[in-house]
Amino acid sequence: MNAVFEPITGRYVTLDISGVTQRIYFEEAGQGTPVVCFHTAGSDNRQWRFILNDGELTRTHRFIAPDMPWHGKSLPPAGWQTQQYDLTTETYMDTVLAFCDALAVDRPIFAGCSMGGRIALQLALHHPDRFAGFIAIEASDFQPAWYDIDWFHRPDAPGGEMGAALISANIAPQSPEVEHWNTQWLFMQSGPGVVRGDLSFYTRDGSLVGQLHRIDTAKAPVHIMVGEYDLTCTPEDARRTAKAIPGATLDVMPGIGHFPMSENPERFRPHFFNALARVAEPRSDQ
Amino acid sequence: MADTSDLIARFERMQTDLNRTPHLKRLGALFSETVLIQVDDEEFYLFFDKGQLARIEPGPSRKTPWRFALRTDADALARFWEPIPAPGFNDIFGLIKIGRGRIDGDILCLVKNLRFFKEFMDFGRVELTV
Repeated sequence: MNAVFEPITGRYVTLDISGVTQRIYFEEAGQGTPVVCFHTAGSDNRQWRFILNDGELTRTHRFIAPDMPWHGKSLPPAGWQTQQYDLTTETYMDTVLAFCDALAVDRPIFAGCSMGGRIALQLALHHPDRFAGFIAIEASDFQPAWYDIDWFHRPDAPGGEMGAALISANIAPQSPEVEHWNTQWLFMQSGPGVVRGDLSFYTRDGSLVGQLHRIDTAKAPVHIMVGEYDLTCTPEDARRTAKAIPGATLDVMPGIGHFPMSENPERFRPHFFNALARVAEPRSDQ
Repeated sequence: MADTSDLIARFERMQTDLNRTPHLKRLGALFSETVLIQVDDEEFYLFFDKGQLARIEPGPSRKTPWRFALRTDADALARFWEPIPAPGFNDIFGLIKIGRGRIDGDILCLVKNLRFFKEFMDFGRVELTV
């Protein structure tokens, strides 16, 4: 029998976020510089499992990856059955800050992908003192929807499966087949209305247009990463965004799409090493 | 300009591959629709029946109702079918995003059956062994 145990451990924490009690599931691995890792829309912390299992990275970093409320093994709040889930910028930032407070993590590096990349930029704008730096993956100032987000919560169709089929457009053809499909599986597992509610934030609520120049990278560096096959946040979107943030750096990753750490962990790995080094550098080196 | 006979041969090969792929027969069990694929000025009507491609008819036709249409150009479709397509050419929605494709008709019907239809279109990536 060949049983391989991973070093990742999972726990639950119950805390108040914007006055609402939330039971949050999180996983962590490693010791050293804390890095909080946030997943994309319609998915959960399993997207980060390759980073949390990376023995070289976890020698020097403590990676902590929560499932956002409504996602993965975190429950929706009491009364969800009559609510429409619409993630907002304020609630999202409160979630990140409350989670870091609950775990007593002092000035971690924030790493987030897609909507997690957008909130990285919002946090860089509004709460730079709380973080050592920001790794904003597949992140841009704003993305209008090129689809109808209400498609993803209908009584006559499975939102998760439709969402997965749609976002597969954003997975690079170079991705290993098994991780291509695992990335879709996580999307398929999202609860009813969750993809729609996440996209409400991503395509309606979270715009940073006209505000990026106010991000002070002297307080906390901002490093933006984007996959060349990302059709949602394209390299052009990321370039525009990085250019508007004084001092921000940009890495365009060949052969990668919108879910780098999940769809192609091997190809993503050196880019993430570089990102961690970038945000750890003193500002004078940038 | 689209080469009609080459495209018919390609669609027939895709038809063979689809009809011998059990998981797509299962995924497409509720998909019995006519799809129009337009390549430049050439039209092709694909008649799906319960996840199988029953027949392919070249157009033009003003009398054939269709559920949704994918319209593109020959060069874009050739690039879509390359083994490793360039960014934007790797997906039917990518073609739309980069302005090389258009979807008309009942888009929700397409989205409900998107995994099925995308996997069908991916069969075009298999090179013809003539």
